[in-house]
Amino acid sequence: MNITKTLQIARREFLATVMTRGFLIGLLVMPLMIAALIVVMPFLLKEQSPRIEGSVAIHDPTGQVLERAREHLSPQAFAQRRVEMQRRLDSVLPGAMRGLVASGGEDAMQAAMEQALGAVPTLTLDALDSAAALETAKEALRESDTALAVVAIAPDAVTAGEDGLGTYDLFVRKKLDDRLIDELRDALATSIVDARLAARDLDAREVRQLVRVPRATPRTIGEEGEKSANEIASRLLPMAFMALILIAVMTGGQQLMTSTIEEKSSRVVEVLLSAVSPTELMAGKILGQMGVATLMLALYGGLGVLALVSFAATGLLDPWLLFYLAVFFLIAFVVLAAMMAAIGAAVNELREAQTLLTPVMLVVMLPMMLWMPISRDPNSTFATVLSLLPPVNPFVMMLRLGSSTPPPTWQVWLSIGIGVASMAAAVWFAGKVFRIGLLMHGKPPSFATLLRWARMG
Amino acid sequence: MTAAIELSHVEKSFGDKRAVRELSLSVPRGALYGIIGPNGAGKSTTLRMMLSILFPDSGSIRVLGGSALAAKDRIGYLPEERGVYRKMKVGDFLLHMAVLKGMARAQARNEVTRWLERMGLGDTFGKRCEELSKGMQQKVQYIAAVIQQPELLILDEPFSGLDPVNMRLLRELILEQHASGTTVLFSTHVMFQAEQLCEHIVMIHNGEKVLDDPLAAIRARHTPRALDFEPLNAAVDVQTAFRAVPGIERMTREEGRWRLDFSPDVDVPAMVQAVAARVAPARLELVRPSLEDVFVGIATAHGGNNDAATQGAA
Repeated sequence: MNITKTLQIARREFLATVMTRGFLIGLLVMPLMIAALIVVMPFLLKEQSPRIEGSVAIHDPTGQVLERAREHLSPQAFAQRRVEMQRRLDSVLPGAMRGLVASGGEDAMQAAMEQALGAVPTLTLDALDSAAALETAKEALRESDTALAVVAIAPDAVTAGEDGLGTYDLFVRKKLDDRLIDELRDALATSIVDARLAARDLDAREVRQLVRVPRATPRTIGEEGEKSANEIASRLLPMAFMALILIAVMTGGQQLMTSTIEEKSSRVVEVLLSAVSPTELMAGKILGQMGVATLMLALYGGLGVLALVSFAATGLLDPWLLFYLAVFFLIAFVVLAAMMAAIGAAVNELREAQTLLTPVMLVVMLPMMLWMPISRDPNSTFATVLSLLPPVNPFVMMLRLGSSTPPPTWQVWLSIGIGVASMAAAVWFAGKVFRIGLLMHGKPPSFATLLRWARMG
Repeated sequence: MTAAIELSHVEKSFGDKRAVRELSLSVPRGALYGIIGPNGAGKSTTLRMMLSILFPDSGSIRVLGGSALAAKDRIGYLPEERGVYRKMKVGDFLLHMAVLKGMARAQARNEVTRWLERMGLGDTFGKRCEELSKGMQQKVQYIAAVIQQPELLILDEPFSGLDPVNMRLLRELILEQHASGTTVLFSTHVMFQAEQLCEHIVMIHNGEKVLDDPLAAIRARHTPRALDFEPLNAAVDVQTAFRAVPGIERMTREEGRWRLDFSPDVDVPAMVQAVAARVAPARLELVRPSLEDVFVGIATAHGGNNDAATQGAA
């Protein structure tokens, strides 16, 4: 094979693909969308929801819930709960998004929460002393602008009656903010439980502390010692690896097929074949499109690394994982690109390619569809078999490798060995079909015809 | 010196169809050869095998003293179905082809500029191929075929789709390449074009070589079998006058002139004398057989496809 000619074909293929407006726009659209979202989001968040103001009437025959609810629904209590919510979010959020506590204290956190959730509601709690007043208050929900809700506490809500412990009824006006309903539910549930505990001479605050166990973040113990893993990042990583390979391989493969069809339909292929052998032409085209796919991989992979830095999860990036990513990308690309080159050479126009393309696409998309069962149990027999079965083995093995329970090394290398063999088989098959198909015009071939060409060639 | 092209007992089949049968051929260096034959005769398949685009099922092919594959860079090729990268700039396309033909990039750039200037396309270097007219694109394709100054130039139906002006231009360019020492081999199904250009004719019919001779020898071998006759006195009844002349098989009137076809065993000088003696001629000329006549004759003699022969000769 003449390397200079092969590289010249690759150079043209790469430039002809990359230096088009459509490709550049397509390539940059995703990163630009993410960047735009980052820039635009703060402005969107500044659009606060209007403050909720009004009255909530409570009929409390027990006499023990109203005051507790009043305390729970005070502006100070709202603010305090929001600060605690921010703290809980901070514990799971990526590193770059933390720091509000450190930088500005509770005031800053409260401001941030107001930014996100709207201003703290200002509620007036009115006590209803009779059943008649309750009915009047319910009527007021129809007419009054300030009446937001009416609560009827059951007489046996705190101390059990004949039928056990009672509860409460909540009446609201039309078009009430869902968040306020949640707040009211929360306040009433807490107040009733507190009242029940107090009735039994128990300290509610102490009981709450006793029943609460914070969620633990797992720490991974490996060769490098002990490190805490970010759960969100470690769950998304396998999928991200597979998607990365899939996007890069599909983009390069599609372009390869399109450019082959173009060369064939514009009849430029015969001129090319007078200068280079079909093998040099196919190798150059695959090499050129591999450059395109690598560019995609580098760009989106780079974004992924940035995301990992943001999640403070760069520890998940094992150098071996990156090595395997490169190896499985190479295997997946060559197998798919060879198939695409064969299909492109066999047909006369893009429309005709659909029949041959559909089964190939279905097979390639299979790991995407089976992501959930594989990532739930990455070492199941099903996942193991798929990770050794070409042409999906590179995708599935990357899914398993990125999981928290990676496969044994021998399985990885067996998959690589099978992948290399499948690469050789795909290139052999595509080479035969490519050589014959390029000069064939007329009726588009079926898969059976392609197999016959491969045997002939 | 070895021949530019040597084919020995070459066979090529596509499925059940034998496209080329037992073809042997030798084209000397510096020659201008024409391969003629009707559509589907096997001409393009033969040329593609010489270019190692296709490979023979059996037999051997040597091009420029070596294998066809090794000689790729020394062969210029203009295929019948020719195309360009539509979105590619003219200069880039020609540079691409030149590098694929083994030229260094810097040298290729100079040659591309020189050829474009020479063909009157100097301002098209940075234009996309799709912006050019069909005639201009054909010039670009010709440049791509000769950019590396090939030792052997193979042209498959080079005149198809050309207007008369570009046809003449291409003819001159082919003759120029030939004059500079390049071996030229071109195929056509239009016999007239082969007659105009070639020194030597190879005829292929149904995949078989049926003729391989210099044009002059073909003409010499195929003696005239008809007379172009115009009477001095237009009022003379020519048909009645020649009806009694033995050996005249057919008389056809063509715009005031008559074509008199003889039977094969006729003594031509005696026939000319006999015709002139019966009716005083204003014009009397032997009609030499055209390549088309020769081809139809050979194709018929080989029991071949007369339709194909007629179509090819058309």
